[in-house]
Amino acid sequence: MSKQGVEVSKKMELKVHSLGRVEGDLDVRVAVEDGVVVDAWTEATMFRGFEIILKGKDPQAGLIVTPRICGICGGSHLTKAVYALDTAWHTEVPPNATLIRNVAQAAETIQSIPRWFYALFAIGLTHQNYASSDLYDEVVRRWAPFEGEHYAIGVTVSSKPVEIYAIFGGQWPHSSFMVPGGVVSAPTLSDITRSISILEHYRETWLEKILLGCSVERWLENKTWSDVLNWLDERAAHRNSDLGLFIRYSMDIGLDKYGSGPGRYLAAGSFPHPQKYRFPTIDGRNAALISRSGVYDGKTFHDFDQERIREDHTHSFFRGSGSLHPFVGVTDPIDPVEGQKEGKYTFAKAPRYEVPGMGAVSLEAGPLARQVIAGRPGAEEWQDYDPLFLNIIQEIGPSVMVRVLARLHEAAKYYLRMRDWLKQINLNEKFYIKPRELPEGRGFGATEAARGALMDWLQIKDGKIDNYQVITPTAWNIGPRDGQGQRGPIETAMIGVPVRNPEDPVELAHIAQSYDSCLVCTVHAYDAKSHRELAKYEVVKM
Amino acid sequence: MTAIIGCGNLIRSDDGAGPMLIRKLWELGVPEGVRLADGGTAGMDVIFQIGDAKELILVDACTSGAEPGTIFEVPGEEVEAPPLKEVNLHNIRWDNAIAMGRWLLKERFPKKVTVFLIEAENLEHGFGLSPAVEAAVERLARDLIQRLEEQQCRLS
Repeated sequence: MSKQGVEVSKKMELKVHSLGRVEGDLDVRVAVEDGVVVDAWTEATMFRGFEIILKGKDPQAGLIVTPRICGICGGSHLTKAVYALDTAWHTEVPPNATLIRNVAQAAETIQSIPRWFYALFAIGLTHQNYASSDLYDEVVRRWAPFEGEHYAIGVTVSSKPVEIYAIFGGQWPHSSFMVPGGVVSAPTLSDITRSISILEHYRETWLEKILLGCSVERWLENKTWSDVLNWLDERAAHRNSDLGLFIRYSMDIGLDKYGSGPGRYLAAGSFPHPQKYRFPTIDGRNAALISRSGVYDGKTFHDFDQERIREDHTHSFFRGSGSLHPFVGVTDPIDPVEGQKEGKYTFAKAPRYEVPGMGAVSLEAGPLARQVIAGRPGAEEWQDYDPLFLNIIQEIGPSVMVRVLARLHEAAKYYLRMRDWLKQINLNEKFYIKPRELPEGRGFGATEAARGALMDWLQIKDGKIDNYQVITPTAWNIGPRDGQGQRGPIETAMIGVPVRNPEDPVELAHIAQSYDSCLVCTVHAYDAKSHRELAKYEVVKM
Repeated sequence: MTAIIGCGNLIRSDDGAGPMLIRKLWELGVPEGVRLADGGTAGMDVIFQIGDAKELILVDACTSGAEPGTIFEVPGEEVEAPPLKEVNLHNIRWDNAIAMGRWLLKERFPKKVTVFLIEAENLEHGFGLSPAVEAAVERLARDLIQRLEEQQCRLS
């Protein structure tokens, strides 16, 4: 750049803000009558056209494009994109590569836990509405944005786990180091030791010291809700930990009483067993997962079957109405103004799952869904079996509190898994087996991002992408009504919620935040009778 | 150490100018002690990529209404954007990132911050830069390398 080419400007109106702009906006509109929410609509106001971008591209383009769909879970996008290609090309994935993919995926999730809790969720708990609680002063002392003692610790520690991702993936975010047939990294012993020491730092400075107030192992001994209550009473360190304070405060201010959602859950499952998924196939996936996939309809567990998924776009800004399986999914957007005339109100499609005997229903995705599925009996000895959250929803029902608890719980579980996988890496063995690039095929890849089930469907024809469809956890949770008029999960979670002050509906913010959608979210409350707007509430304000 | 962080989204055409500049610098080769990072769209992580840098250079696309490919050089203190209370985690921009980085890194925060902005022409979904923006990325990359080399000469 020559000197003439440089313009130095002191004041500029800058309309473009790359960071975060792509994550778009989500408006949650609720109608309140006599202090209770009686109806709700989730409106994603932003169109994301990556399916259109990918059409006609090289089959591996998904590895580059999908990690840039989201600035907060790009590693999860890469994980499912690579499995979609592995299944389409019938690759062999060496166990080392699976171990590293698992470590990376878990690293992204455990970084998200403290960051989301302190920088997004817990801030709402310092709201002055709760000033009358005996615990309020302590909550503010710890969790107030920027000033809280644990806020700074939590936000700082959240940068550490993704350093492990960067050791193996070259960079985080937006790495593309997982490739069909393995990973492109060739780690050394010092990479492994560094990763372990980062994990230990995470455990020592935050996980045990601040969050749990006890060892990871002690916390994971809790198998029922009554175990958790006994754990609280067992020692002052438990009661006064951030987890202990969160539970006591939640029950004091009523976070255990609302935001239950549909009560039906979906987990795509994650973490393939390194030996049992050497030859990835769509059909063989369920049986090879350490953290199992599944659907719980409120009474019964079902095996997860991607064939049973449909995306309904009756109320979405896409042409026509219909409910298509993602392999034949169509992304044909229309002008929202036109769409509104047909009763459409969002850019999100409505993912639905055909539950045997129930028809196509909405399902909640996310940490609570995963942990409920983890309670399904019949796990193999090497699979995750964890009955705690199935018991909790049976004992006290799902709620904002329980959803948050499930996410915090996973920090302990994933820490242990990561330690174990890092130990299993055999530096003398392969990390990559070059695949044959087949010109035709279809693939399915899925994983669990921090905020829930994430899936890709890929159709390859003549060596090019013929169709590519992604369903994100956010789509599962913020999806609108379907052709039958059934509400999406967050819409459902809002119904019946008591709003103490309609001019400042903090309760609705807690619900929206507990789902941690990857869209910047604003809640609008309306009076159901007069349609007067009561309040607009920025949900993710720091 | 000087950290250069390119921000933006590769799949939004000219918004990818920041990450593309990082690639260009990588290809051309930067002097020792310069750390390159593709900040992408990952808000807060931009801050953590600053690390222990003495100097920070941020690069992003902008739409100020100027001629596409125009390069603005703005001192960090001019665009730093407190108060942080208006920021949310899903919407951290580089101006917030500077302010947040100062809060988080405290005395480790770089002494000097410069923001380069490249005027975008096209922000539609899709790959690839417009010719004017591509030329600007090339120009800025070569200029930055020259500056960094001169700086290193002065220091040694």
